[in-house]
Amino acid sequence: MTELGQNLIDALALGSLYALIALGITLVYTVMGMMNFAHGEFIMLSAYALYVFAGLPFAAAVAAALLTGIVIALLAERVAFRSVRNADLSAQLVTSLAVAAILQNVVTVAVDARAQSVETPASISESTSIGSISVPNLEFVTLGLTAIVLGCLGWLLYRTRTGLAMRAAAENFDMARLLGIRADRVIAIAFAISGVLAAAVGVLIVMQTGQVTPTMGLTPVLVGFVAVVIGGFGRMFGAVIGGLLLGALSSLLGAYLPEGLAPFRDAIVFTFPVLILIFRPHGLLGGEIGKARV
Amino acid sequence: MLELREIRVGYGRIEVVHGVDLSVGRGEVIGMIGPNGAGKSSILRSICGLVPSAAGEVVFEGRVLTGMAPEQIARLGLALVPEGRHIFKTLTVAENLRLGAGRDGEGSAWMEQTLERFPILRERASQRADRLSGGEQQQLAIARALLGRPKLLILDEPSLGLAPKTIDVIYELLQDLRDEGVTMLLVEQNAARTIDFSDRCVVLSTGKIRAQGSRSELQRNPDVLRAYLGRQP
Amino acid sequence: MSGARFRSRPSAAASLLVPLVLIAITALVGANGTPSFQGTVTLILCNLIVVIGLQVFVGNSGVYSFGQLGFATAGAYVAAFLTLPAAFALLQTPGLPDFIVDADLGPLSSTLIAAAISGLLAIVVGLPLMRTSTLAIPISTFAFLIVVYNVVGNWDRVTGGSSGLVSIPTTTSVESAGLWAGAAVVLALAFKWSASGYRLQATREDEVAARSIGIKVTRERLIAFGISGVLCGVGGALAVHQSGVLNPATFYFGATVTTMTMLVVGGARSVFGAVIGAIAIAMVNEALRGVENGASLFGAISIGEAPGLAAIGLGLILLATMIAMPNGLSGGREAGDLPWLRRLGSRTSAPLSRSHGAVATRPAGHAVKGALRAEGISIAFSGLHVLRQIDLTVEPGEALGLIGPNGAGKTTLVNVLSGFQLPDSGTVALDGVDVTGWSPARLAHDGLGRTFQAVLPFPHLSGLESVAVGAMGMGVGRRRAVAVAVDVLGRLNLLEQAALPAGSLPPGGQRLLGIARALAIQPRYLLLDEPAAGLNEAERGELGAILRGVMKDFGCGILLIEHDMSTVMELCPRVQVLDDGMTLCIGTPEEVQADPAVVESYLGSSFLAAVDA
Repeated sequence: MTELGQNLIDALALGSLYALIALGITLVYTVMGMMNFAHGEFIMLSAYALYVFAGLPFAAAVAAALLTGIVIALLAERVAFRSVRNADLSAQLVTSLAVAAILQNVVTVAVDARAQSVETPASISESTSIGSISVPNLEFVTLGLTAIVLGCLGWLLYRTRTGLAMRAAAENFDMARLLGIRADRVIAIAFAISGVLAAAVGVLIVMQTGQVTPTMGLTPVLVGFVAVVIGGFGRMFGAVIGGLLLGALSSLLGAYLPEGLAPFRDAIVFTFPVLILIFRPHGLLGGEIGKARV
Repeated sequence: MLELREIRVGYGRIEVVHGVDLSVGRGEVIGMIGPNGAGKSSILRSICGLVPSAAGEVVFEGRVLTGMAPEQIARLGLALVPEGRHIFKTLTVAENLRLGAGRDGEGSAWMEQTLERFPILRERASQRADRLSGGEQQQLAIARALLGRPKLLILDEPSLGLAPKTIDVIYELLQDLRDEGVTMLLVEQNAARTIDFSDRCVVLSTGKIRAQGSRSELQRNPDVLRAYLGRQP
Repeated sequence: MSGARFRSRPSAAASLLVPLVLIAITALVGANGTPSFQGTVTLILCNLIVVIGLQVFVGNSGVYSFGQLGFATAGAYVAAFLTLPAAFALLQTPGLPDFIVDADLGPLSSTLIAAAISGLLAIVVGLPLMRTSTLAIPISTFAFLIVVYNVVGNWDRVTGGSSGLVSIPTTTSVESAGLWAGAAVVLALAFKWSASGYRLQATREDEVAARSIGIKVTRERLIAFGISGVLCGVGGALAVHQSGVLNPATFYFGATVTTMTMLVVGGARSVFGAVIGAIAIAMVNEALRGVENGASLFGAISIGEAPGLAAIGLGLILLATMIAMPNGLSGGREAGDLPWLRRLGSRTSAPLSRSHGAVATRPAGHAVKGALRAEGISIAFSGLHVLRQIDLTVEPGEALGLIGPNGAGKTTLVNVLSGFQLPDSGTVALDGVDVTGWSPARLAHDGLGRTFQAVLPFPHLSGLESVAVGAMGMGVGRRRAVAVAVDVLGRLNLLEQAALPAGSLPPGGQRLLGIARALAIQPRYLLLDEPAAGLNEAERGELGAILRGVMKDFGCGILLIEHDMSTVMELCPRVQVLDDGMTLCIGTPEEVQADPAVVESYLGSSFLAAVDA
């Protein structure tokens, strides 16, 4: 029973992490219609900020990571994605692939291809007991951070004018423009927020693994894509559900897979969405490819 | 106030508007009628910047609009109530209105004044917009456009899909606006009402203007009927 | 009829020259090059084969798959298993069954088996994946790539795990690589120009229109996916027999980006593009690697350290191409289609001439007996009733006009009849058979054709190809399809422009081409959705005459949606008026024009009063 409780909390924590990734990807998708392959590199670069600023107090390094995430996201939008805004889905996807490859290799050249270790506050690697369950502090941080992020995002989207403009643009981009909403601004804000989300994920991953490598963004972005797809494209709520499901599956498999199959956990996890797509080609919650146009 | 000069609009290689001239003076209500496919919506969309015009110019209060982004044109004072209304279904009525209002938030005097005109919307303020009936959605779309205090209000088939009684309600509203001096460009398929309502009407068919004039002029003009039904009465 | 082909002989020959040139150059290198240079060229050729494999699927379907290198991995490992000498196999891959360990095949047989297994894997993986949507395929194929990486990297006893395999016999000579590459080019061209290839290209050009002419999108994608898997498997097998080493990262993310860049920069739509892209990017890669002053290994093989600078360069090239030159260096054209050949004067095929008598794709004696009948069709979207209990009948061989104000539901009705929308209630019957809910492709096979308001052309296919693919959608072979197309185009006076790309025709021509495409399926019933929209007066007149001819020659029933009353009056002895989702009246054009309810629905009652006054 204790073990089950522990595993459930682990599952929730991992699911929250995946939900954060999926949210970042969905945010950009809803306003731009593009699935951003480079989101993984946003995560990776923010994590590297922790490595670069390792001398500073941890809180300052985290702030640097957040800033990095925002700057990189805005830069990528301005330099690369704006030009293909009206291209078709495939073209946008390949463009984001190019950006991802560039960013990944810039870090390889600038730093190193090998992993670099990053020190994180000792308290993170410890655990706290609740009753008979011993929960790693990191998971508290993850759950707490996710809750805060979701809360802030919800506040932004539903209680501010900017959020209102973004929701309107996500539903019908042209109509929003007809009401005077600036397309460029809405898209930039969406990218900036996705940068913040990516940074949060990057920091959490570093706190978990204690290291950074140039390829660390690859699996997260795939996880995010898959979560978005199974949740239903373009739905923020769907992204969260998809992330939670995928995280829970991965975590529970990790706990309960027989030892011989354990290394194949990833393979099993990534086959799972294919099954969902067979029966529900538009994802669990359904969703539309393409956006409403006046 | 608004002038179209030799406007041509096309989609891909298909040109649907073959050189149209139009002018709307301040305080005027201009109607554009004609059968579907005539190019009416295309002209409106090109005025508002959603579709580039292949040739010609759109000039609003001395500024050339051709080539500007839709949001810039909207901020200059043109408001479009598009065909099919296109209210934001996932947002509440109040949120839809807030989007139209720009800087004026809820509770401001202008918002209050406008809501006076649309009691139904005040009643349903916190409901999701997709729960409204067709007529109420149309009212919402118009209110939303009005909240921006537009200099020119453009309506694309406001009576589309509405029952006759509801259309009466909408047109009463438009009449009030007209009395207050709001400049309007009105596109409709139903000719009679529009001819009746507008100061001047332009009859469009297959991308060209076939007839124009005041109510009395058009009601006697056989070209109008011919534009729709291809015969002389 | 015998002279008609898609492209002139010189043009086809020029395109096929490419593999010959490739083989010739390879032979030269083999005779005169240093061993290390030969090794370089061999790897470039292996890359090329993988890129061609990519082109077969991505270029023809327009859908990006990021998983194709998973098939290269499969092919490489299978080839390695089959050729690894028993002693090494026992050490590195103890988990393999004995008969594989003992197998000591030559390069040819091991490559062929590797290709077969990769192809099989592609079919198995493709079966579920090709049914998903166009955006889900890139993502799920990417997941497949990672699954392969994960499985291969962790199945230590069978694959040697993440450290991979060594001491694989290096049996690929530059000449054999050249021959395989040449064969790959020929295969890719043969597929692209086959009926199946054309059908797939149609789905790339416009998926909706492709369905309306009977093309089964999933099936065509699966076929290409399988062929692509085979080619990638060959590339992987040959590469591993050149380098002698293999690990899971060999054909993973870096190689995916590289091969994708090669394809995009060259121009995804053509095999020629794949070839020049592969060669150009390989050369650029070489230069960039020289700058890095690192490895002597290149091409698809990535050493433990990521390439870094070279990869940045490639990424930038890919980015620049997507932004500035999305059609790539080749512009999507084959070698034989490039302008230089046109200047030599033989771009188009020999003058197309019509055959005598209509060419049938439907067996004779398949006379139409029953009507196209819709009964009680109702459909509502978000509370709005778009159609309410609509009945409509088109008798065999008759023309029914469908008119009504905007928003009356006409296009929705056509969508329901042609299978693009499901009614909430009501039935559609064709020749007595209930066809409600049938897919558009299935309806097309049963003889229901349609055109679209927006034409939905196949912009990159020529007029002749566009129409022929309509016949191919019915399962007709290429030769016969061309004959049908020539026949139909002749009747519509489109033969002169038939060799031009459909996207370059003027609007009137595009409309007629859309009609010709629908006619190529030899429909029993043809639904025309506003065929006169966007045409000027003269073109409308021409259209009327042509439609009259069509009705006479093809004997199909026609449902004509039009706003232009003159066209409707000319062609349709019967007209049905729709307003607000309901039928207002049905009668002859004259009756309808005089009907007060009709006039009122268009113009309003007060206008009527004024007119009558």
